[in-house]
Amino acid sequence: MNNEPHIARAFDRDLEAIQALVLRMGGLVEAALSDAATALETRDDVLAQQVRAADVAIDALEEQINSECARLIAIRAPTANDLRTVLSVIKIASALERCGDYAKNLAKRSIVLTAMQPIEGAAGSIRRMARQVGLLLKSALDAFITRDIGLAEEVRQQDQDVDHMYSALFREFLTHMMEDPRHITAFMHLHFIAKNIERVGDHATTIAEQVIYLATGALPDAPRPKGEAVIAGLKP
Amino acid sequence: MNDMRTLERIVNSEAIKISARNVQVHYGTTQAIKDLNVDILDKTVTAFIGPSGCGKSTFLRCLNRMNDTIESCRVTGQIMMDGANIYDPRIDPVQLRARVGMVFQKPNPFPKSIYDNVAYGPKIHGLTRNKAELDEIVETSIRKAALWNEVKDRLQSPGTGLSGGQQQRLCIARAIATGPEVLLMDEPCSALDPIATAQVEELIDELRAQFSVVIVTHSMQQAARVSQRTAFFHLGSLVETGETGQIFTSPKDPRTEAYITGRIG
Repeated sequence: MNNEPHIARAFDRDLEAIQALVLRMGGLVEAALSDAATALETRDDVLAQQVRAADVAIDALEEQINSECARLIAIRAPTANDLRTVLSVIKIASALERCGDYAKNLAKRSIVLTAMQPIEGAAGSIRRMARQVGLLLKSALDAFITRDIGLAEEVRQQDQDVDHMYSALFREFLTHMMEDPRHITAFMHLHFIAKNIERVGDHATTIAEQVIYLATGALPDAPRPKGEAVIAGLKP
Repeated sequence: MNDMRTLERIVNSEAIKISARNVQVHYGTTQAIKDLNVDILDKTVTAFIGPSGCGKSTFLRCLNRMNDTIESCRVTGQIMMDGANIYDPRIDPVQLRARVGMVFQKPNPFPKSIYDNVAYGPKIHGLTRNKAELDEIVETSIRKAALWNEVKDRLQSPGTGLSGGQQQRLCIARAIATGPEVLLMDEPCSALDPIATAQVEELIDELRAQFSVVIVTHSMQQAARVSQRTAFFHLGSLVETGETGQIFTSPKDPRTEAYITGRIG
């Protein structure tokens, strides 16, 4: 990679600006995810409401990133590494926006769940899974800023841990639902939450793959290791 | 992906038109080109890019032996066109230049009528037997250069009376009138406004159906727009050559990257 400054210094500032926006967006998404999971565990509706309201800022940042990138493409006509940076920024912002939506959805379901009878242990498991995914997201963004292919590769590998956590929860929830049908509504919500957190992990992987594309000019060709599929868990 | 644009971008030909091997060029004691090897494909636009003084224009001028006209210039190595060495003593440079046409940076029409500017080449090379044939070549060439509608009613007016963009298209018409196999263009748009530039670029894209075009340009965006192959020159060496899209998205050499992204290389 080329770390020399551009002859046009404003070009460097433009590129730095869009990447700084992505980092700010990443920070907001990590906080939203963590707060939503805390709200679920502590049955804190006020915090959940805050998470829902904060999603507006995440969406606004994505729009700002898109328009800054469009402007940069129009004005600077970026090529090579610069072009890949801009394309990665757009893709990462779009992935983060989805993650923000998942956190918001978690907060929404958390409010629904507080109105029901608490379920022993489930919120704690979800909290742990959310923390794990939050770390993945953070690592993926760190890898993006430092252009660290090794770290990006680690994120790709570690996503399977999240897949395993999800599969385990899926089986656990299914067992509970079969044992006590009165809790089906609550467990359906919990399952969607777990599924959404698992999707955030997939987006962290997408970001990691963008880092590899950015640094090398090609997406990784080796297929990513996938955790045990839930379908397999359904088999007798 | 079987979409129209992808098909259009595919280089139609893998046939090599010009093949240069171990080319070295000296101006007196200064070495302008060091051990250059490159293949130029038929029916393809190849762009030469690189900073000033990197040897791209010098190399372009080797391809039709324009450098012969410079006293101190010495070319060694081998440049083959269709398998024949163009520096063979039996090759007549004047005949060669009819096969390898050239368009220069500044439009340079002869101080003659529009008609005579285009008719000059076919006349001196004896390509026509009568006036009717000559008329036809003149008209076809001016049409191919996308200038016909603008000049058809004033073919006898002086070529120098046209606008800059029209003059440059007249020079292109003049260059294609001898039916060349290769067209060399040395910064053909640097003296033109954006509209005239776009017209010339469109013309280049049409011309590649018939022959191979080699263009030297300082505008990276122009190289990206018009060419299918790009070659990057630096300090008299060919650093990297490849498919244009690849050069502009993921160049392999850090020097290419530094140059095309506008960094201090």
